[in-house]
Amino acid sequence: MIIDQPLSCFLAALAIGVVVEATARAGGVWTYRSRAFLLLNILIIFGLVQGLGVGWVIGGRQAFGGIAPVLFMVGAVMGILVEGLNDYWWHGWSWSDRPFFGIERAIDKAAFIGVAWGFVPVFSVAIARLATTGDIGG
Amino acid sequence: MQRLSLADKIHAGLLSIGVAGLVCAYWVAFFHSDLTMPHFVHNLTNPELIQFTTVYIGFESAFPLADLFVAVASALSAFYLIGQDAKAVLFGLIGSGALGFLALIDISFNYLHGLYAPAVMLRDGGLRMEVIINIGCVVGSFWSIWRFWGHPLRRAEDRVLRAPLGGADLTAGEPSGR
Repeated sequence: MIIDQPLSCFLAALAIGVVVEATARAGGVWTYRSRAFLLLNILIIFGLVQGLGVGWVIGGRQAFGGIAPVLFMVGAVMGILVEGLNDYWWHGWSWSDRPFFGIERAIDKAAFIGVAWGFVPVFSVAIARLATTGDIGG
Repeated sequence: MQRLSLADKIHAGLLSIGVAGLVCAYWVAFFHSDLTMPHFVHNLTNPELIQFTTVYIGFESAFPLADLFVAVASALSAFYLIGQDAKAVLFGLIGSGALGFLALIDISFNYLHGLYAPAVMLRDGGLRMEVIINIGCVVGSFWSIWRFWGHPLRRAEDRVLRAPLGGADLTAGEPSGR
């Protein structure tokens, strides 16, 4: 099925969000205070902000090799902002006591995941392009 | 957790908005508009200038990966500074040092190619903005390094435990003198 790139960026980010959240749930990495936070995180932060906002608006029409560092940069800075907002104000999700890749403190886990958010727009654009044109685009 | 001092609030704001945010905004503008370009890149009549424009844009295009490092380190420093965690100093020194290093490379390139010549700057608004960015990066980075070096968190140990949901803070090695 051929779909346009903005929608495919959004859907790719949603798919990444579902996979990440399912993996985190299976591994007991973090837990949500309520199901609403989980849905909002997947729909708004993954789909709208990182996929459509950062991925499509910034990287939708650029050569992939050139724009990929910018996508990661903006995605990671947004991710650190989201993790900071959650850690200091929202408290929508919290970290388990188990070490995560050797990281023990909650604040370090939040920082690590904050940086890892940078991969979401990069992979969203890559997946969207492969799905729509079959080519990553430079 | 103790209240964040006004100076730390300003420092965290500068790191998150003034460095991480503006670096991101700069590169979004670079790829989507001519806002960050000096005017001479539009001069398509002079072959020498066309050749130099290719060199200039090639040079500028090499910066996103390095600026990614600066933006992420600065954002992490602000994140840890708000949490009054000792890692703010680590990432602050890394990010500020990298920012100063990149600014000095940019200044060196601009100076060696005569882009700071008063006659050139007077007729090119893009280069005037470049000078402001260069000065801002050098002054900001050295101020940030100086401030982090004297910060009480530099001598504080990482806190071992943090309350996961913002309740009572179980800490060890809290910074002194704040």
